[in-house]
Amino acid sequence: MLRIEDVHVRRGGTHALRGISMTVNAGEIVALIGANGAGKTTTLATISGLLRPESGTLSYARCAEAAPIDIGRMRAEQIVQAGISHCPEGRQVFAALSVTENLRIGAYLRHDRAAIDADIADLQTQFPILRTRANVPGDRLSGGEQMMLVIGRALISRPKLLLLDEPSLGLAPQLVEQIFDILERLRREGMTILLVEQNAAMALDIADRAYVLEAGKIVLEGTGKDLAGNADVQRAYLGAA
Amino acid sequence: MGSAYILSQIVNGVILGSMYALIAIGFTMIYGIVRLINFAHGDIFTMGAFTTLASLALIGLPFPVALVVVVLTGALFGVVIERIAFRPMRGAPQVTGFIASLAVAIILENLLVMTISAQPRVFLVPEYLNRLVSTGVITIRVIDLAIVALAIVLMIALVFFVHFTKVGIAMRATAENYDVARLMGINIDRMIMLAFAIGSGLAAVSGLMWGSKYGQISPFMGLLPGLKAFVAAVIGGVGSIPGAVVGGYVLGLSEVLFVGLLPPEYSGYRNAFVFGALIVVLLVMPNGLLGRNTETRA
Ligand SMILES: Nc1ncnc2c1ncn2[C@@H]1O[C@H](COP(=O)(O)OP(=O)(O)O)[C@@H](O)[C@H]1O
Ligand SMILES: [Mg+2]
Repeated sequence: MLRIEDVHVRRGGTHALRGISMTVNAGEIVALIGANGAGKTTTLATISGLLRPESGTLSYARCAEAAPIDIGRMRAEQIVQAGISHCPEGRQVFAALSVTENLRIGAYLRHDRAAIDADIADLQTQFPILRTRANVPGDRLSGGEQMMLVIGRALISRPKLLLLDEPSLGLAPQLVEQIFDILERLRREGMTILLVEQNAAMALDIADRAYVLEAGKIVLEGTGKDLAGNADVQRAYLGAA
Repeated sequence: MGSAYILSQIVNGVILGSMYALIAIGFTMIYGIVRLINFAHGDIFTMGAFTTLASLALIGLPFPVALVVVVLTGALFGVVIERIAFRPMRGAPQVTGFIASLAVAIILENLLVMTISAQPRVFLVPEYLNRLVSTGVITIRVIDLAIVALAIVLMIALVFFVHFTKVGIAMRATAENYDVARLMGINIDRMIMLAFAIGSGLAAVSGLMWGSKYGQISPFMGLLPGLKAFVAAVIGGVGSIPGAVVGGYVLGLSEVLFVGLLPPEYSGYRNAFVFGALIVVLLVMPNGLLGRNTETRA
């Protein structure tokens, strides 16, 4: 579904990505783990078109039958339209917009009014706080509620590929569990997910495959299980002595 | 002082406030979306007045048609200025944009002086707008009623647009965060253009109103109303459209009542009063009356 090859990205003076290659297949949860500053956020922002790669290719096909397109030169708006939805780091709900307005703006590129309303109602059933707090400004929600809203806002564009940047950051353990349950459910329903996490243990547990990023380079890749069992990964990311 | 006198002062305050509010809305929308203090905004107001004069006196358009022409040309001025002068500065420190807007203001004023002359011009509106309407208690001109009614209609339309249409919500989203707005599929360049178009269109209408009410326009007429509308926007809470409206009316009313109710020897302090009020409001309420806590864009 997504194939990244030898991508380099510079941010200001920093050579943030130094030739990374990775693939995400349809229906998978792929985890991307790494220390602070390794380049995880940069990777997602490059895929979603917020940043431009200096070199390398990013090709994406929304489904098996579709011909792959080169998203490396596309604008963020076109990439959303193509079916990639990015939940940015730090949640980033629109603070001054109500919960429902946040959801509506997630459907900005859709024009099927009735279907949008139906999708909103559907999300409100899945995440009841989206209904009970429908008219509350985004910044009045708790961290967990904001995360539900951000996932809802991303889903309402009807993406094929979901990019998530540290969804568990700053949330209480039971909320983190809840978020990971949602991701597993989404995968069962056919969603493809690229998940960036600091919480490497949980990410590797849920992931079909995973990549380890270090200083802008992929240093390890494998199935979630393999990496969770890898001694280097355990030492660096899973807190083993 | 009879109650009729006080009432007519209040009406004058509402008229002045309507014109300030329309300029202040543009200030606040433009600041809200690009964090630019647009010093040239008052000159869009001036251009609006001159466009009206040209449409009425030179081309001989009917007044309502001139109004539409003024809105559209005002919007066009705003969009062109944004494209040429402000877009290249995007991402630069706030001071850079402010200085660019000063440059635009000076260029526009000089352009008017060179092509039309610095002398004030008489501004005539059709006879039916000067007719008097008596309500029993006070007597006002049709144009005064029209100014207030038009301002209110425009403001209601704007609030409706910003709150209940998809593009309006997208504009507010863009004002909050460019990157996240782009992730929703919003073309932020277009939203910024739209904010300049709407804000400048409203300022131009205000210029039309000013000329119609006071019967005289000049290339520098935008300076003080522009500054005062800026004060109104700040008092209301810069970035907030309802704040700009409230700020505009508070300022218009208090300015007129200050002059009208105090002994005549104080009326020379009119402008000192306005800017003094700004300082007091900011000391008590740093975010203005209705403002959110807005920091500079990262
Ligand atoms: N806005 C920015 N401007 C310049 N450099 C940045 C910016 N954001 C991140 N970087 C640099 O890019 C590198 C990768 O950062 P990032 O992708 O945010 O890492 P991670 O998400 O893995 O913590 C770091 O060296 C960081 O300092
Ligand atoms: Mg990050």
